[in-house]
Amino acid sequence: MNMEISALMDGELLEDESEKLLDHIGRVDEGRKDWEMYHLIGDVLHQPDHIHCDLSAKVRVRLQDEPVVFAPRKRGGNHKFSAVALSAAASLAAVGMVVWMSQQIGSEAFPQMAMQQNLLHPANVKIQSKSNDYLMAHQEFSPSTDMNGGASYIRMVNYESEGR
Amino acid sequence: MRLLALLGGLVLVVAADAYAGEKQSCLDWLKTVAFAAHQTDYTGVFIYQYDNRVETSRITHFVEAGGEYEKVESLDGPKREIVRHHGQVWSYHNHKMVEIDSHKGQSKFPSLLPSQLSLLGSNYQAKLAGIERIAGYDAQAIVFQPKDSLRYTRKFWVHTDSGLLLKAAVLTDKNQVVEQYAFSQLQIGGKIDRSWLMKSAIPELRSKSGHHHGSISSSSPRVHAGTINSGWVAASMPVGFKKIMEMQRPMHGNHAPVIQIVFSDGFSAVSIFIEPDDGDEDDVEGLYSRGAVNIFHKVAYGHLITVVGEVPPLTVMRIFDSVRHNG
Repeated sequence: MNMEISALMDGELLEDESEKLLDHIGRVDEGRKDWEMYHLIGDVLHQPDHIHCDLSAKVRVRLQDEPVVFAPRKRGGNHKFSAVALSAAASLAAVGMVVWMSQQIGSEAFPQMAMQQNLLHPANVKIQSKSNDYLMAHQEFSPSTDMNGGASYIRMVNYESEGR
Repeated sequence: MRLLALLGGLVLVVAADAYAGEKQSCLDWLKTVAFAAHQTDYTGVFIYQYDNRVETSRITHFVEAGGEYEKVESLDGPKREIVRHHGQVWSYHNHKMVEIDSHKGQSKFPSLLPSQLSLLGSNYQAKLAGIERIAGYDAQAIVFQPKDSLRYTRKFWVHTDSGLLLKAAVLTDKNQVVEQYAFSQLQIGGKIDRSWLMKSAIPELRSKSGHHHGSISSSSPRVHAGTINSGWVAASMPVGFKKIMEMQRPMHGNHAPVIQIVFSDGFSAVSIFIEPDDGDEDDVEGLYSRGAVNIFHKVAYGHLITVVGEVPPLTVMRIFDSVRHNG
């Protein structure tokens, strides 16, 4: 299951496999939780700033608020496709887009996209400085401090300049 | 045939012996590193790389009658500086040095205790990885590969003469670098500039003898070595993590004392912080990552719980999920 989610996020699943998986995620709570966790980890790997837990949930909620667009459909198309599957696919596309954007382009190139990203996880100075306090309180007890001394504090030294 | 079996058995025994020998020699190197890090005078420039960033800093460390003195300053970007002495830590903030953490009067977290070394031995596979040249010095490379995916692989390059750590890398199970430190220039021993001590804005450092500590009042958070039993537990810590301590401590920016429980597997420590939820809207749940350190915090059971550790994101989240209050 987890491997499949990971493969889906990397675009390595075939179309019918992804459909089945998305359907499963839509129905099963556990599946949704895994889905969210994998996205969270993916986001953190791609973007080192503070990340909200429920990013994909937020995207889903935003999508639900979006007005419905009635587009002409191909005649004879399969009308049995449920709206749920479509919205799941749309939210997948949206999350994929955000992750892809943060990977591929600098914020200068697409200012409006950058703004959108800020909406999704606003820079929160207080959180950052708070995290710094935890880091500091933790560092003195870490075996790494014993091995490379003050060099391990460089994590916080960097941090100060960004957070404050 | 019988002779062959005997021979085969002998080869196995010798191989096992060789492995045990290699493991022991890796652990011995670590002991040397922990000793050298505290006892050696050195100054140098090192590079810290994490995520997609590279930072250059200068570190100076020396030992005087009053104890160890250490300064780390950034060489690029705005001025950033950390000074450590005798369990106290100061940081340059708003144009002055501010004391940010203190373990004064409390014995420093002990240098790699034998119990820690045995933890390392059982959680990681140790390998010597040849001699490499770092910052112009010969270094012994050592790799510690975890036996599960709940922790990172560690690689160390140790100066063969002094035992100083010249380079250290944290790697994922796919061998991707999470973060690394490496000296690009290093002077070991010799004349090391100590004049900054006398010019320092920190009175404790100017006195230099280390005997006047008690008389200086400070508003910084002070950690008392009061070990407690808060009733909070992590029900499913990954195998090999041992509880190192549990305490109640004041923390910067917090009104109420915070419970801190520290676990270690020898290389990585994980701290769990527990504090009453003050309903602060800014306490957004989330995962934060900085190099090898991951932080996960969220409100649960009416408390703000924060897990901090040099372990993969999934591990801090799992530990968070297992935090419970007994009683």
